[in-house]
Amino acid sequence: MSEYILEIKHVSKYFHGLVAINDLSMKVKKGQIYGIIGPNGAGKTTLFNCITGIYTPEEGQILWKGKEIKGTTPFKIAELGILRTFQTIRLFAEMSVAENIMSGRHIKSKQKWYNGIIHTPAYYKDEKENWEKVGELMDFFNLSEYATIPAGDLSYGIQRRIEMARALAAEPELLILDEPAAGLNENETLELTQTILKIQAMGVTIMMIEHDMEMVMSLTEYITVINFGARISAGLPAFVQDDPVVVEAYIGSDEEDEHE
Amino acid sequence: MMTKTSMIALVLLIFMGFFPMFVDSAWLAVGTTFLVFSVVAFSQDIILGRAGVFHMGHALFFGLGAYTTAILNVQFGWPILATWAPSVLIPMVCAFLLAGPIIHLKGDYLLVATIGFNIIFIQILENDVFGLTGGPNGIFGIDIVRLFGIQFASQTYMYYMAFILLGITLFIMRNLDKSKFGRAMFYINKDEIAAQSMGISIRYYKLYAFILGAGIAGAAGSMFSVQYSAVSPEAFNVTQSIMFFTIVLVGGSASLPGVLIGTFIMFVLPEVFREFATARYLVFGLAMILTMILRPRGIWPVKFGNIPSFLKKDVK
Ligand SMILES: Nc1ncnc2c1ncn2[C@@H]1O[C@H](COP(=O)(O)OP(=O)(O)O)[C@@H](O)[C@H]1O
Ligand SMILES: [Mg+2]
Repeated sequence: MSEYILEIKHVSKYFHGLVAINDLSMKVKKGQIYGIIGPNGAGKTTLFNCITGIYTPEEGQILWKGKEIKGTTPFKIAELGILRTFQTIRLFAEMSVAENIMSGRHIKSKQKWYNGIIHTPAYYKDEKENWEKVGELMDFFNLSEYATIPAGDLSYGIQRRIEMARALAAEPELLILDEPAAGLNENETLELTQTILKIQAMGVTIMMIEHDMEMVMSLTEYITVINFGARISAGLPAFVQDDPVVVEAYIGSDEEDEHE
Repeated sequence: MMTKTSMIALVLLIFMGFFPMFVDSAWLAVGTTFLVFSVVAFSQDIILGRAGVFHMGHALFFGLGAYTTAILNVQFGWPILATWAPSVLIPMVCAFLLAGPIIHLKGDYLLVATIGFNIIFIQILENDVFGLTGGPNGIFGIDIVRLFGIQFASQTYMYYMAFILLGITLFIMRNLDKSKFGRAMFYINKDEIAAQSMGISIRYYKLYAFILGAGIAGAAGSMFSVQYSAVSPEAFNVTQSIMFFTIVLVGGSASLPGVLIGTFIMFVLPEVFREFATARYLVFGLAMILTMILRPRGIWPVKFGNIPSFLKKDVK
């Protein structure tokens, strides 16, 4: 097996004939923090949706530990150890923080089909272990004081933490973060940076889309820049930052924004 | 220590337990019907309130249970006790076969499909397709439960059998809610994309809800057929399905007290106001509309956050 845990090879994805991802390739090493940047609408979220099975790309291959996973349903992708957060937060809003995080324990829970009707000693053991894990994650993300509060009632920054805790509860091998710092204030962003480093230290590979350049530059080991669905640059953060093509793409998109 | 809700539940339990000693036989029958319909409403609530599947054909599974007992007993001479297992299992198998091909449909499409199943079911019963259902008149002369020479014939027996059935149903609902399976249904209900991304198979858990709900409805159907010693198609038509659907939404989806309140309003209050004849249904129509406007989550909405107490220690 190669040193790359995830390989994306010549992937293309179209919406109604329009190309959203165009012949994109990248390789993620185990244990890495891998950054994906690019202007709005570049296709970054679409790429994550292709990896996690929400969309099936028309062309190319997605290899997870050398095995093709293109077209696998989202729940099976999660079972493989690929977990994600969403750019537009997707929590179970009416349910409590603890119950939200418990959803991450779903694939780890060993309850049998009949435990939905009748409880057994094995059920009680399993249930207790999973709630304890939820407790550990609430401690890790400073969420314990909100345990019983409906997730939808909490602030944006806290909701982002709940989403990460939920994904981490599944003990992922690859954690995919879609703009985790969006909507966070400066303190919260600093805290998030520390948290992501701690998650990496646990041995989790991380892929992240992020617009906060300071954060991307300080965290990531390798970056791919996407524009109009295609790779326009890739390399170490310091290289990408000064690549004229990248600078051009961002200036171009800024001008477009002004016209809107 | 007891919470307010469990206090109310205990008082209610004691009241329901002694109810037959204070009322005449007419009211006892109303009480039994309330218990049986509560069981059906809870089974609907597994599918609609928990898994969030807009299923409007639940009277089909209720009817399948009732007709299974009626046919096996009257046409084939099985004792009632022996019909209990098939009256649960046949609706479960049918739920798997019927829901399988439509479970991926979105809310409104699935709703229409389930109504379609219910209509076909009634057609089969009325046209006596297999020569077993007795056509529009149904089947009469269903036996009573007999065990060790005891005949459970009186309305009081009927009441307590329904009471036990409701107890078993509540026990299952509680276990479901405290398991991976009940939680998965809630996650799917609240956000399918997020649920899938956490590794939850939408299809598996929606089918689980359907099959479990159908089995419980079938048990209630069997009880219902013995209570009235007869079954006929109109007791299981789409109007009945709409009633079960409405009970859940008016009472409060996934809320145990809510569903009991919903059943009380829909099936017991009409009996209380019997002298107002059909005008009483006007009031219920209005009540349904007002509840949806004023309390869209139901009269007694579900409350989440039932987590082990050791996780609550830091909550302010
Ligand atoms: N489900 C969809 N249907 C049609 N077009 C889509 C869909 N999802 C994304 N797109 C289009 O694909 C392009 C890339 O979007 P997206 O991946 O969200 O960009 P980014 O995350 O880089 O901002 C956009 O033009 C967007 O409108
Ligand atoms: Mg995006």
